[in-house]
Amino acid sequence: MNKIVVEGLKYKYPLSDTLALDDLSFQVKEGEFIGIIGKNSAGKSTLCQALVGLVPHFYKGAYGGKVFIDGLEVKNQTIADISLKVGMVFQNPFTQVTGSKMTVYEEIAFGLENIGIPRSEMIARIDYVLDLLKIEQVKDQNPFDLSGGQMQRMAIASIIAMKPDILVLDEPTSQLDPAGSEEVFQAIQSLSKQGITIILAEHKMEKVALYCHRVLLLDDGKMVDINTPGKIFSRGDLEQHGVAAPVYTRVCKELGVRKAGTSEFPVTLAEAESVLRGRKI
Amino acid sequence: MKSISLYVDKESFIHDFDPITKLLYILFALFLPLILLSFTVSFISVGVSIVLLMAAGVIRKTIPVFSFVFLVLITVVIIQGLFRPENETILFQIGPLAMYKEGLLYALTITLRVMNIVSAFLILVLTTKPSDLVETLVRKGMSPRIGYVIVSVFQIIPEMMASMSTITDAQRARGMETEGKLSVRMKAFLPLLGPVILGALINTKERALALEVRGFNSHVPKTYLYEEKTHALSKWVQAILLLLLVGAGVWRIFG
Repeated sequence: MNKIVVEGLKYKYPLSDTLALDDLSFQVKEGEFIGIIGKNSAGKSTLCQALVGLVPHFYKGAYGGKVFIDGLEVKNQTIADISLKVGMVFQNPFTQVTGSKMTVYEEIAFGLENIGIPRSEMIARIDYVLDLLKIEQVKDQNPFDLSGGQMQRMAIASIIAMKPDILVLDEPTSQLDPAGSEEVFQAIQSLSKQGITIILAEHKMEKVALYCHRVLLLDDGKMVDINTPGKIFSRGDLEQHGVAAPVYTRVCKELGVRKAGTSEFPVTLAEAESVLRGRKI
Repeated sequence: MKSISLYVDKESFIHDFDPITKLLYILFALFLPLILLSFTVSFISVGVSIVLLMAAGVIRKTIPVFSFVFLVLITVVIIQGLFRPENETILFQIGPLAMYKEGLLYALTITLRVMNIVSAFLILVLTTKPSDLVETLVRKGMSPRIGYVIVSVFQIIPEMMASMSTITDAQRARGMETEGKLSVRMKAFLPLLGPVILGALINTKERALALEVRGFNSHVPKTYLYEEKTHALSKWVQAILLLLLVGAGVWRIFG
């Protein structure tokens, strides 16, 4: 079943002359894990916000085409209604702190209070996300006293606690160290395995290649392609679109080794290893 | 994090009372002396508030507030003592300046009323978390948006001050003079305002987005993480305060 359907989506921010999103069309099935890649200002964040309804409801501006979430057209719903189905985590963790709660625990409860979750359920969900994102040890601290990485985990936890069917993440690991971002990706993957549909805008290509089922490549607001990581990262024109393939793929391209029986290059460490070990030196 | 709220985190039976009872106490302390118009009642009322502040263990925190209030009140005493139109009886004289009894008595009334209001307010402010107070009011029907604005100010102002000091450090690292004569300091202040204000505006936009996706404008009835704070004696205290007020009113009218 298609969870997200985008048909000919066009969008222009107010006071801007160029289209931020130019005629995008794609479908996402329930439970899929989609990566959105592209250079800076390619439209990744705008696309993410279009899925939650912030585009066009928050910004206004010129909007064309249709976005359906679970069969409901985003343009005709309010952000509050869409936010029950779609959760979104933004790039900057500092501005996602509401500022009205004194502890991390209460901060995570903020969204749950707004959508009317009963107290016992609320406590169970908060405990679950604190554990999932490994931030129990800071649950009584003030949200503003956290490090960037902890704040980012808290921001993700706050959204996951609201149990959306679809989770949209806009560079959720920008403030995290390699070990921290690996942990966050593992947490996101475990949600994906539970059947939650995930849309992730990210610059860390190795992670995108490893975790995403399909990858959407954007350039200047236009969709270049949506396909499996193997197909996307094996494209010859990636650099024209301002994207570098995962380092493993680049090595294998230089060496000219492809995955057995296909025209694709390996995109993950494991694939590259198995292909390269198979070769006689 | 530095907090701009005056709340003192302590354990006491005053802290245990709910904000509504404390609000009612403010009303009580405000109106009782106005209804009964007697020095004794005002004295008792101030005395009770101060005893409650001591019981809550926050009396030391009141000193800066009271000293500021006294600074204002001294001018009242001087001006009323010297120039009140009803002044007749000279109490004492310093050179050409005469202090009058009527003016001083009137100043004493004002001083007592101000002390009374300030001490009753301090009980609320020093022993109630701002977020608890707002949450209680939201439960009683205040708009959650107004509640959010009030509570977030307590965190976002210190946050802005922190970003201001970061920007100051950054400018200083690039060679800007920020210390020395007043004119130098004034000049240093201007280039700081741009980044601070623009940054605050951008942050506000992003925070608004984040609030939207967390259902801030949702029409579903709100639930709360914590149970409503009540004290076993709340109802009794509230009833006694109201009875005393009504009783005083009746006594004033018919007595």
